[in-house]
Amino acid sequence: MAAPLLTLHNITVALRETGRRMVTGVGFTVHAGEVFGLVGESGSGKTLLTRTVFGLQDDTHLVDGTVTFNDKTLPREGYASAARKLLGGQIGFVPQDPFSSLNPTMRVGTQITEALYLAKGMPMNAPATRQAAIQVLAEVGIPEPELAFRQFPDQFSGGMRQRIVFAIALAQDPKLLIADEPTTALDAITQRRVIELMLDRCRNRGMAVILISHNLELLRQSVDRLAVLYGGQLHNVAPASSIGHETSHPYTEALFDCIPGKDKTLADIRAIRGEPVGAGFGLKGCAFAARCRYAEERCRTADLPLNDNSSTGFTACVLGRGAPA
Amino acid sequence: MSSNPLVQLQGVAKSFGRRLLVQNRSFALKDINLTVNRGEVVGILGESGSGKSTVANIITRLTSYDEGRYLYDGHDVAGYLKSESFGFKSRVQIVFQDPYGSLNPRATVAASIAEGIRLHQPQMSKAERDQRVAQLLEEVGLPADCGSRYPHEFSGGQRQRIAIARALAVGPELLVCDEPLSSLDVSIQAQVLELFVKLIRERHLTIIFISHDVNVVRLICDRVYVMHEGRIVEEGKATDVLSHPQNAYTARLLAAVY
Repeated sequence: MAAPLLTLHNITVALRETGRRMVTGVGFTVHAGEVFGLVGESGSGKTLLTRTVFGLQDDTHLVDGTVTFNDKTLPREGYASAARKLLGGQIGFVPQDPFSSLNPTMRVGTQITEALYLAKGMPMNAPATRQAAIQVLAEVGIPEPELAFRQFPDQFSGGMRQRIVFAIALAQDPKLLIADEPTTALDAITQRRVIELMLDRCRNRGMAVILISHNLELLRQSVDRLAVLYGGQLHNVAPASSIGHETSHPYTEALFDCIPGKDKTLADIRAIRGEPVGAGFGLKGCAFAARCRYAEERCRTADLPLNDNSSTGFTACVLGRGAPA
Repeated sequence: MSSNPLVQLQGVAKSFGRRLLVQNRSFALKDINLTVNRGEVVGILGESGSGKSTVANIITRLTSYDEGRYLYDGHDVAGYLKSESFGFKSRVQIVFQDPYGSLNPRATVAASIAEGIRLHQPQMSKAERDQRVAQLLEEVGLPADCGSRYPHEFSGGQRQRIAIARALAVGPELLVCDEPLSSLDVSIQAQVLELFVKLIRERHLTIIFISHDVNVVRLICDRVYVMHEGRIVEEGKATDVLSHPQNAYTARLLAAVY
């Protein structure tokens, strides 16, 4: 297999102010053209991890680990600015809330031509740039793209706005798209349309995607592989198709069992007792041990295994449950 | 099905905006006909803006309606005095979506739960009341001695349990739940869902369960009304409607569910 597009190795993220380690020892790879999911409950550290790794968070920093993108390892000195340079060029970013991520005073067209100018140096007012912008609006399924080009963001619904944000990302022709809960603010019907469109267009272009969500069912049905975070620890990396069918990491299994999926009955649903722990649990002991039905005494004290990225799957379970075959 | 209707909405409509200018009015609800029989668990399913919360607010008399009739247990619920003549407030209780906004932050948990009892059963002694509060806390899965603590000391799931205990305190026959799971974490949603299942089995309550989550409605509701743009577009047995939808909108909604 070719070298992965993105490799995270033993990433540890800490708060600048207190030095508290919020995300500890996370490692996974994303291959070119792969749709990769990142799942976790609120407070599990999924957004903190992504925002820090891509230089978007000011109050946290990378204290340990290496990030390799497209065969280049990012430097530790001036990490955030080096990571940010990739954004808007080789990496596109779609944030959660389409109501605050677009500039309300700029026409939609200008926001896309600006992206074309910044990423590819196309002159902003040239007819060819305008044509390229209209084409990308059409690609994300905006009806009447010529008209939309002249309109302002407030003239669009949430779903349409998220398509516009996606169009801005696509205009830069990135190798990797990061979408952080892109549809959480949207209704069910719109959510499915936007996710399907986004993944379809990315697969057509051969782009890799990191899709971040708290919704395991959505990811399971949409992505190729997914990573599971809990308490700031990486617990599991597994093919989406294996979840619910093969033995998984106990937390992945418990998460799957507590979601009222389409084909489940009341008897299939098993709540996880206790309360979720927030990020920042550290690496000593498994963060899930207190709620886990398989937990043994050693789970609470053992050092959590780290993903060395030697295989496409990984389980951090101290007891070895869900180890890749 | 035996017909013992507890809630009947007949042609209920509700509009917001200036009343005199017809063209300025926007209809939140139009021609709502809805019946909930005693002992039933009825789901109201719809996306945001469909009017489902407005229906909940009308049923609990938190908001008024412009047209139509609302019969509760055969009584016309028109004016305040009329409704109090048959004890409406202690017979109908509501659980809101957001357990952070629905509990008084300056009252202890026990005080919040006991408030309704004090109001509706003033003859009850303090000792009896305290015992009742402890029982309720235990019933919703909280330690019986946590009543002296304040809401901010509890997590979202625990607060929702407190809100449920408060609703149950006055011994209602109808519980209206307006998206009671949506603001909770995934693993906590399942816990609170289990609590609802337990309450349905043990208390034989009539429940109106308002949700946008098709899967949850399918699991716990006997019957379901599907709402879209202020109207009811489909109704029927939950298992029928959610497996063989007749309405085009319901079908689209179901196809979108993960």
